[in-house]
Amino acid sequence: MTINTAFMIQTFLDVLAGIPVTLELTFITLLVSFPIAFFMALQKLEKKKFSGKIVSGYVSFIRGTPVVLQILFLYSLLPTILNYFIKEVLNLDVDIFALNPIIYAFVVFSLNTIAVLTEVFRSALLTVEHGQLEAALAIGLNKRQAYARIIIPQAVVFALPNLCNATINLMKSTSLAFMMTVKDITAIAKVNAAYGYNYIEAYLVISVLYIILCTVVQFGYGAVERYFSLYKRISTN
Amino acid sequence: MLEIRNVYKAFGNNQVLNGVDLKVNKGDIIVILGPSGSGKTTFLRTINFLEKADKGTIDFDDIHTELQSASHKTINKIRKKTAFVFQNYNLFANKTALENVTEGLIVARKVPKEEAIKRAKDALDKVGLSERYDYYPSQLSGGQQQRVGIARAIAVNPDVLLFDEPTSALDPELIGEVLSVMKKLAKEGATMIVVTHEMSFAQEVASRVVFMDGGVVVEEGTAKQIFTAPKEKRTEQFLRRIVRDYDYVI
Repeated sequence: MTINTAFMIQTFLDVLAGIPVTLELTFITLLVSFPIAFFMALQKLEKKKFSGKIVSGYVSFIRGTPVVLQILFLYSLLPTILNYFIKEVLNLDVDIFALNPIIYAFVVFSLNTIAVLTEVFRSALLTVEHGQLEAALAIGLNKRQAYARIIIPQAVVFALPNLCNATINLMKSTSLAFMMTVKDITAIAKVNAAYGYNYIEAYLVISVLYIILCTVVQFGYGAVERYFSLYKRISTN
Repeated sequence: MLEIRNVYKAFGNNQVLNGVDLKVNKGDIIVILGPSGSGKTTFLRTINFLEKADKGTIDFDDIHTELQSASHKTINKIRKKTAFVFQNYNLFANKTALENVTEGLIVARKVPKEEAIKRAKDALDKVGLSERYDYYPSQLSGGQQQRVGIARAIAVNPDVLLFDEPTSALDPELIGEVLSVMKKLAKEGATMIVVTHEMSFAQEVASRVVFMDGGVVVEEGTAKQIFTAPKEKRTEQFLRRIVRDYDYVI
C-alpha cells in the first residue's frame, strides 16, 4: 500500500473549510453551557435543596450514557417529537426536518458539556475554604458580592486545568457531529476518503489537524492560567 | 447595648446551646471560657448569624429580632455593627493585606476608596503591619495573618468585636503578638466578646468572664471572682485542669 500524498494535500485543503464548524460547535457550546453549569453547580453545593438533587440526577444520567448513544437518541427522536409538537399542538406550518442539523449538535453537546462543567465548577468552588465565604459575610458583603469578589476569582484558578480538559474533550467529541450530517472536519474527511477508499490518509490528515487545534487551546488556557494565578505565583517566589 | 436571650441551637440530634443569655455593655471585655464542645464558639457565631439559632432573641441598640427568623436586611445590619475574628484567620487569599481590610469598607459600606485606603492603613499600622500592605496572605506568618484579620475587623469601627479562639491556630511563639494587639484594643475601650483558652488574657483584661458548659452559662462574674472563688463545682474543675498554677492563684 502506498500513501497518496496528493490526496492528503487536497484533503487537508478541503478540511480547512470544516475548522470554523468545529470551532463554532466547541465555543458556542461552551458559551451556552458556562452560565447554566455554574448555576447548576451552585444548586448542587446546597445539598438540602431539592433542585440540587435534580442536578445530581441529571449529571449522573448524562455521565452514565455514551455520547454516541445520546446523539443517536436525540437525532432520531427530537425531530419527530418536535414535528408532532409543532404540527399537532401548535398548528404551525414549520418544516422541522429542514432545520440545520447543527442545531441538534449544539443541543447534544451542550447537554453533555453542562454536566461536565457542573462538576468542574462544583469541585473548583469547593477548593475555596468555606471560611472565606463566612469572613466575607461577616464584614457585611452579601452572598452575591462574596461569590463575585472572593470565591469565584479563586475558584476560576482551580477550575482552569479542568476547563482546559473539558474544552479539549468537547472539541474532540464534536467529531461525532458527522453522525448528524454536520459538515465538520471529520465529515469532510470521510466524504473525501469515500471516493477512493483513502481512509488512512484522510484520518492521518485530520489527526494532525485535531492535534494542532487542541495544542492551540492548551496554550490559550496556559496563558489565562498564568494571568489569573498572579496571587499564587507571587507566594511561590 | 447588646442583649442576647435564650439561644437554642442543635446540630441534628446534638443539642449544642440550651438557652444561653448574654448582656453586653459598651466597653465590656467579655471572655467566654469553657471546655471544648460547650457551645461557646457556636454561641459567638449565632450573634452575627454565621450560625442560625433555632430559637432566641437579640437586641442590638434599636434592632430587635428573633434569631431564627431574622430578615436578610436585619442580618446585614447586625453584621455591619459587628466584626468577627476567626480562629483560622479566613483572609481572602486573592487579596493583599490592604485589600482584605478595604473590602468591607468599599464594597459593604460604600466608603470612598481613598478614605477606605487611609482607614485600612491606619488599622494595619495599629496591629503593627505597616510594612506589609501589599503582601498576600500566603506570604505572611500565622501571627501576621491573624493581625490582618484583626485589622480587617477594627477598620469598620464595629460596635462589638467578636473573637473566636483567635490564637488557637498559632504557634506558641506567635500567640504573644496577637494577644498584645488585643490587649491594646481593650485598653482603648473597644467592646469585645472573646472565646479563648488564654487564661492570662482573661485574667488581665476581662471585665467579665462567662463560663459555659453543656450549652448553658454555668457561671458569670469578674475575672477575679471566677479565677479565685468560683461558685460552681464545674467551673472549679475546669480551671483546675486548664490553669496549671490554679492552686497558687487561690
